[in-house]
Amino acid sequence: MTVVIDALMYLGYVLIFPGFLFCFLAGMLLCGIDRKLVAKMQKRVGPPVLQPFYDFFKLCGKETIVPDAAEGICFMFAPLLGLAALVVIQLFIPVFGFTAISGMADIVVILYLLLIPAVSIILGGAASGSPYAGVGLSREMVTIISCELPLVLVLLAVAKTVGDAMGTGLCFSLRGIAEYQAANGSLICRISMLPAAAAMLLIIPGETGNHPFDAAEAETEICEGLLAEYSGAPLAVFKLSHAVKMLTLTSLFAALFLGGLGTGMVVLDALLLFVICAVLTALTISFVHAVTARLKIEQIFKYYWTVVTLLAAVSLVLAWYGL
Amino acid sequence: MDFPFIKEAVSQLFGKSSCAMYPAVPSEAAEGYRGRIVYHPERCIACGMCERVCSGNAITRSVEHLEDGQDKITLTFNLGSCTFCASCADFCAKQAIEFTRDYHMIATSEEDLLVRGSFIKAAPKKKAPGPAKQADCQAQSGAGVKPRDDGKPVSDPSRCVYCTICARKCPVQALTVDRAAKTWMLDEEKCIACGTCAQACPKNCIIL
Amino acid sequence: MFKRLIEESTEKSPWLFHINAGSCNGCDIELVSILTPRYDAERLGFKLAGSPRHADIVVVTGPVTKQSLPRVLRTIAQVPEPRCIVTMGSCPQSGNVFRGSYSIAGPLSKYVPVDVDVAGCAPKPEAIIDGLALAAKMLREKRGQKK
Repeated sequence: MTVVIDALMYLGYVLIFPGFLFCFLAGMLLCGIDRKLVAKMQKRVGPPVLQPFYDFFKLCGKETIVPDAAEGICFMFAPLLGLAALVVIQLFIPVFGFTAISGMADIVVILYLLLIPAVSIILGGAASGSPYAGVGLSREMVTIISCELPLVLVLLAVAKTVGDAMGTGLCFSLRGIAEYQAANGSLICRISMLPAAAAMLLIIPGETGNHPFDAAEAETEICEGLLAEYSGAPLAVFKLSHAVKMLTLTSLFAALFLGGLGTGMVVLDALLLFVICAVLTALTISFVHAVTARLKIEQIFKYYWTVVTLLAAVSLVLAWYGL
Repeated sequence: MDFPFIKEAVSQLFGKSSCAMYPAVPSEAAEGYRGRIVYHPERCIACGMCERVCSGNAITRSVEHLEDGQDKITLTFNLGSCTFCASCADFCAKQAIEFTRDYHMIATSEEDLLVRGSFIKAAPKKKAPGPAKQADCQAQSGAGVKPRDDGKPVSDPSRCVYCTICARKCPVQALTVDRAAKTWMLDEEKCIACGTCAQACPKNCIIL
Repeated sequence: MFKRLIEESTEKSPWLFHINAGSCNGCDIELVSILTPRYDAERLGFKLAGSPRHADIVVVTGPVTKQSLPRVLRTIAQVPEPRCIVTMGSCPQSGNVFRGSYSIAGPLSKYVPVDVDVAGCAPKPEAIIDGLALAAKMLREKRGQKK
């Protein structure tokens, strides 16, 4: 009996609350808020907040064309792989007190899983057999590599800070981090964590491939790069993945640095998390989109491996000295 | 790195948008906008100037001979081929072509973009080519204007519409016609008395 | 219900792909102007797509030169159904001032069925918005007919 209930509960986790349905609704809303805010900052009215939903359903209703040059199965299933990985990440990220799945070292798992959406888009693009996708593919890889180093350093700094306090050396468990913050206040209040938080904020648009760092999907330049050959439902899933990625990264930030704000009630916590995610999206994605122009790929690489990595490294050193 | 638009972005976030909200708020074209053509067939004299000056070949004139000897003349303006340069309206001696400010020219079929108008022109009296025509002209012109004896043209001001066709047709540029001032002048030095102007005149008002 | 949702969305999110078939650049600039803060067609869901595979509405400007004709037809063939073809300005409808030139293959309607013509040289942005909104309505009808 308990097995059945457990199974149902997990199914509920995967399909409804931190899983698919929540990701779908919250991610799309974040995307809509982002588009609206960018429009506002550019003195426009902007699309309705529900616009990403319209786009998604419209794309679902369109014809799906598989090019002759494409590798059919890989082409069709790559988007699902990326979306599944993102939903799984969302299961690991605690909503303040509540965690669907937790483990000893889920930060490491998240690091790996965060790569999968990028890998899936690379797989899909490579399978489409388009030269534009080829250009986008190499750029996407460079973007991932640029973001990965500072992200690892940020996560290490957080793990070191929490681990020192709990006497376990390095704490790679997000639940551990959440519990520590619930007891001792948010990590962002510590001096050593400020540079790490700043670095993480700068990583968010790069990791999601948003405006100044979207050289891989430059639509004016290389016809949306990796997505050039996609149409219909697979494209809709890629657009959804992009929206969910915004949710994932902002909620990861909330889990790492803004823990301990929770009220204890899961529904309220979820709402609070969404509000935090929306504010972070506005700050890191919309605002940056509105005030910058697209960077070249080598500029992205240089930027992440100098400025952002330096911030994260400073934080790590400070954490090592226990500040 | 330099971000020149930070202040602008933040202030606009709380400011009013500069959007015209077009379909909800109707908008009118500015004064002097050249939109959909309106053709007034009752003013037209079918001189064909508009057709000739049209750069996009948008104007076609068709003549249908009716049974009672009259001609039904139809002018068709294809807005799908128009450059909206308004040359036709400028050249029209009778102001029969008008450009309105209506910019709403959306069509789902070619027929939607055609502006048509037709009128019935009273048939000129039977005329024969060559000398007979000249005689005919003289007969029509009445006592007001007398033909010259050197074969050079004279215009009948009572019927001239100053359409400038004769001036354009003249091979030696001997004629000067000013539409605004309504003057018709002949440079007698240049004129070679060829009679081209008389043949070209849509109103048959040039007498040789 | 799902079908209605898709139809509703089809009308509200038409993505454009713009093909320049030898245009003088007048219409191209006017088309871009509908995305500026002044006219902001994005509030109606319009968006310029980077790839023809993503588009719903193909906007063709220019008199369709002989050089561009095969490319135009290939690009239009790449747009997934349901799609609408909108000609903008006088050139793709008739050739306009270029009519009769040795290098013109137009009008476009000789080769593909054109859904909406927006006349004008170049059309006013308001007229373009009207034409595109009409095309979006037609997209919805086409989607309804398909199933």
